[in-house]
Amino acid sequence: MILTALARKELVEIRRDPVTLALAVVLPVVMLFLFGYGISLDVEDVRLAVLDHDRSQASAELLERFTSSTYFRRVAELRSPGEAAEALDRGRATVVLVVPPEYSRNLASGRPARIQVLVDGSFSVIGLIVSNYVNAIVSEHSMSLARRALAARGVVSPPEMRVETRVWYNAPMKTVNYIVPGLFAVLLLAFPPMLTALSIVREKERGTIEQVYVSPIRPAVYILGKILPYAVIAFGEMLLVLAVGTLWFQVPLRGSVVLLLGASLIYVLVTVGIGVFVSTTTRTQVAAVFLSLVATLMPSVLFSGFLFPIATMPYVMQLYTYAFPARYFTDVSRDLFLKGVGLEYIWGNVLLLAVYAAVLFSAASLLFRKKVA
Amino acid sequence: MQRLAAAIRKEFLQFWRDRMLVALVVFIYTADVVICTVALTFDVKNLTVAVFDQDRTQLSARLVERFSATDYFGRLVPVERFGEIDLLLDRGEVDLALVIPPDFARHAASGAPAEVQVLLAGLNSNTANAARGYVNVILGRFAHELLAQAAAARGISTDLPEVVPEIRIWYNPQLEFKHFMAVSMIVVASLTVGVITTAASLVRERETGTIEQLAVTPLRVDEIILAKALPPFAICMISLVPSLLIGMGFGVPAQGALELFVLASVLSLAGSMGIGVFIAGFAESLQQALLIGFFVIFPLMFLSGTTVPIDSMPRVMQVLSLVSPTRYYMEIALGTLLKGVGWSALWPQLLGLTAIGGAMAFAGWARLARGGALIGRA
Repeated sequence: MILTALARKELVEIRRDPVTLALAVVLPVVMLFLFGYGISLDVEDVRLAVLDHDRSQASAELLERFTSSTYFRRVAELRSPGEAAEALDRGRATVVLVVPPEYSRNLASGRPARIQVLVDGSFSVIGLIVSNYVNAIVSEHSMSLARRALAARGVVSPPEMRVETRVWYNAPMKTVNYIVPGLFAVLLLAFPPMLTALSIVREKERGTIEQVYVSPIRPAVYILGKILPYAVIAFGEMLLVLAVGTLWFQVPLRGSVVLLLGASLIYVLVTVGIGVFVSTTTRTQVAAVFLSLVATLMPSVLFSGFLFPIATMPYVMQLYTYAFPARYFTDVSRDLFLKGVGLEYIWGNVLLLAVYAAVLFSAASLLFRKKVA
Repeated sequence: MQRLAAAIRKEFLQFWRDRMLVALVVFIYTADVVICTVALTFDVKNLTVAVFDQDRTQLSARLVERFSATDYFGRLVPVERFGEIDLLLDRGEVDLALVIPPDFARHAASGAPAEVQVLLAGLNSNTANAARGYVNVILGRFAHELLAQAAAARGISTDLPEVVPEIRIWYNPQLEFKHFMAVSMIVVASLTVGVITTAASLVRERETGTIEQLAVTPLRVDEIILAKALPPFAICMISLVPSLLIGMGFGVPAQGALELFVLASVLSLAGSMGIGVFIAGFAESLQQALLIGFFVIFPLMFLSGTTVPIDSMPRVMQVLSLVSPTRYYMEIALGTLLKGVGWSALWPQLLGLTAIGGAMAFAGWARLARGGALIGRA
């Protein structure tokens, strides 16, 4: 009974500040759109500039291979090496293809025909993927020339190799399928921890918390009553971003919906739990906002594996990532969405989340009790 | 003049007294740069490969050996059944699997297509894309060798046409992400610190009520603003020095027009501080200021090319990013510090930064000069 009374009182407080409530619901969706679209490492339409000294049919044939692929877009014809350097320096082109004057002569005489490829490597991953594309296209062209030459000499069935590549979990290899399931974890850290923390710290600042201290309400009940409304809001927020992620961004949900909702519920409790914990360790609202943004949201963005893979971090930093619950939920979310695996794969992370929540709440209750005594 | 000097001295003292803020600024410009540069990377190396060699011939062994010979693939895990591959991929223990069917060598010898199968864990699209590229390069070379071998066996030897690409990576020959990351962290620091310190110091002065006292002094409003802006501005510019040294420690060449970089830093910082002033105008409390600050900084940071390249974003967002001063600052920083270029290549970015950063700084100034943000919303 006390619990419902407390929760009702909190709801009244929340309703009095509709702007914050609206922000808490709308901003995560806005962020989901911004980051879902904006954070992409897909490499398409690479800007290609060409410096063709040879100007032969053979060189045109090679260049045609590049322009007919969807990876490259020819943006400029260059006339001198100086222009090539300028195109890269100004960022007008990402790749410059230089065909030397002796290209067709070399090909005809059977000598290796070299071409030069200049790649802007400032963003290393893109540089790498682009050079791989170039290699693949050139080697395919080279093969077809060799086969043609062999056929002309009467060799009917030269050896051939075929590669069948299958991409699991994310067949179109789109960044959005990788980013969005992780975004759910990060977005939920933006508001619930802070709102919860503020609701308690506000009472501390105003001094109304003294009334709670002298009342017969037990600390655990008080905390539960405080967080219940925020947990409901946070879960609603979670449902909203999950809905947008699956319906708008079309991220495939291959695993069980029940498992996903169950894991989300536990994660939501962790996020409000962080808020409660922050509130017991801070005295002012500013400190509470600062702690929940700087100490939890920022590092979670960088170290949860939602964007930068954890496996490539130095070992010490990998250990550090375990401090952030977003890491566990990112794993669970990707497992359920993309891999479609069951409880036997995700139970470890779910258990860790549950333990995390339990520890946060008991620590908060203990600290709170100490102040009452 | 004396009046202004006194105001400036007062602001420096006040700023210096808030050790937390000073420490935070220094942290963001130094420790943060180190931590993020060391830890965060998109580079794909040492991939673990499951190898299911059903052929077990000399030829298949030669192909497998190609995979162990590069840096890109680290451990090779031999497997015996398809079921094992499923398990390893699901558990995330391998990144890709190479399957060589039993008739691989026989087909290659007879001229029938010799097929191999590659299974990629596409969970992380970026890793998968890079892995697919490596595999294609290795297999492409192998196929060409097979062809040359077959030709030689039939007495056609040296004169098989071949195109050899010589790939030169500019600006970052080792293709390491840390150079980019170090530069990006410096750029982000100027954004974060500029916005947060300005907004926080203005709002706090208002909250404690001391802003009224400032307002009744003979100081003109522009003098107050100048005095207020100088301390955070100075500490940011000074912090750039250790920041740059750290970057160079990570191998950033910094061979371009450094004076252009410094100028761009000044402009970008002024722009960020303008944003901070605006936030201070909206916010009723310090807590709101911090909150709004973060939700302005995050999108600006992610959508200005500091984390993922602008080229990869959808067209609409690429156009939107043109209004972000951080975008131009990032391009100038990359140009001068990483690419080693100068004024002739970067003047369009400088123009953009001057226009937008200047407009923001001016808008902030105008807002303060009207007194709106200085005294409060009322």
